[in-house]
Amino acid sequence: MGLLTNILLSPFLGPIWGTRWTLEKVDRVVKEELTDDTPIKEDLMQLQLQLEMGEIDDEEYLRREADIMQQLRQVREWREQFGMSTSGGPVRVAGSDESE
Amino acid sequence: MTTAESAAATAEPTPLDGKYVYCIIRNDRSREFGEIGIGSGARVYTVNHKDLAAVVSDTPIVIYDPTRENVLAHEFVNETVMREFTLIPMSFGTVFRSENDVQALLKSTYQAFTDVLDKMQDKIEFGLKILWDRDKVVAAIERDNDEIRRLKDEITRNAASSTYFARMQLGRLVEAAMEEASNRYVTDIHEQLKDVSVASRSNKVIGDRMILNAAFLVERKDEKSFDDRVKAISLQYEDLLTFKYTGPWPPYNFVNIKLKLEKAT
Repeated sequence: MGLLTNILLSPFLGPIWGTRWTLEKVDRVVKEELTDDTPIKEDLMQLQLQLEMGEIDDEEYLRREADIMQQLRQVREWREQFGMSTSGGPVRVAGSDESE
Repeated sequence: MTTAESAAATAEPTPLDGKYVYCIIRNDRSREFGEIGIGSGARVYTVNHKDLAAVVSDTPIVIYDPTRENVLAHEFVNETVMREFTLIPMSFGTVFRSENDVQALLKSTYQAFTDVLDKMQDKIEFGLKILWDRDKVVAAIERDNDEIRRLKDEITRNAASSTYFARMQLGRLVEAAMEEASNRYVTDIHEQLKDVSVASRSNKVIGDRMILNAAFLVERKDEKSFDDRVKAISLQYEDLLTFKYTGPWPPYNFVNIKLKLEKAT
C-alpha cells in the first residue's frame, strides 16, 4: 500500500471507499508489472534468435543484452522489495540446518 | 540480498566459497572436468554423496546474469559432462554457499535424483525451431487454394469496383489458410519424428515467424536416425520453412524435479 493511499484515506470515511478500491487495484497492476520478468525473458529469447539467424551482429547483440540484463536486475530488486521469490543467488535445501 | 551483491562483476575480490552447481550425475568417485567453469574458466569437479555426484565449480556468492556468455559457459560444462554421463541439469545460476550445502542437496533429494537418472539413462535432447517465410507460404496458398485464387483474380480484374469487403474476405481467408497450413506442417513434422524419439515437448514460439519451438527426447542409439530424419524433413520443406536444429543437449525440457530450496542468508 503506497503513501498516496494513506494520504487520501486519512480524513475521509464514506465515498472514499471506491477510490481506495481503485488505488488498490492500480497498486496491484503496477506491482504485477514491476515484478513480472516474463516479457523481458521473451525479449532476450527473441534477441538470441536474431543473433542466431544472423539478423544482428555481436556488437548489436551485446548492446541490447546489456539493456535487458539491466531490466532483469530491476525486476529482481522490486521482487525483493515486495518480499517475493527471486531466482539466482545462493540457495540451500529448505529446512536444512546451516551447521549440518 | 543487496544491490552490491547482485552485480556479477564486482571489483573487490570475493572469496570463492560458493559452489556453482551445473548438474547431477551418477558416479561414486570424484572426477575432474578441467578448467571450463563459469567465471573465466574455473576448475570443474564433483562433490560426492554415495553414488551421486554434483558437478560444481568454486564461485563467489553472486547472482549470475543470464548473459549469453554465462549461459554458454553453463551449457559447455554440461555438454562436456554429457559425453560420458547421463545427467540431470540444474537451472542456470544455482549457487550454494558451501560444499556441505551441496551434500545436503544430494542427501535430501537422493531418491528423486536416482529415479530421474534411471529414467533419463542414455537419453539426449534435441531442439527444433521452425520458422516460416510468410511471403512464400502466402504464395503457396494462393497457388493451391482455389477459393482464394478465384477471389484474388476477381479483385485484380475489377480493381476499381472491387469492394472493401471482398478484400476483407480475402484477407480473412488467407489468414485462416495460413493457420491451417502451420498446423498441418507442425503435425506432419511431429508425426515423422515420432518413431525416432521417445517424447516431445512444445514450447512457446518466439517472435512472429516461428511456427514450432519443440524439444525432442531421443535415445542415444537413435541419434543418427533422428538426425537423418530431421535432414529429410528440412529438405522436404526447404522452399517454405527454415529449420534451426540444435543438440544434443542434456534433457533440459524433460526433467522437472521441484527442488525444495530456499534462499541462503
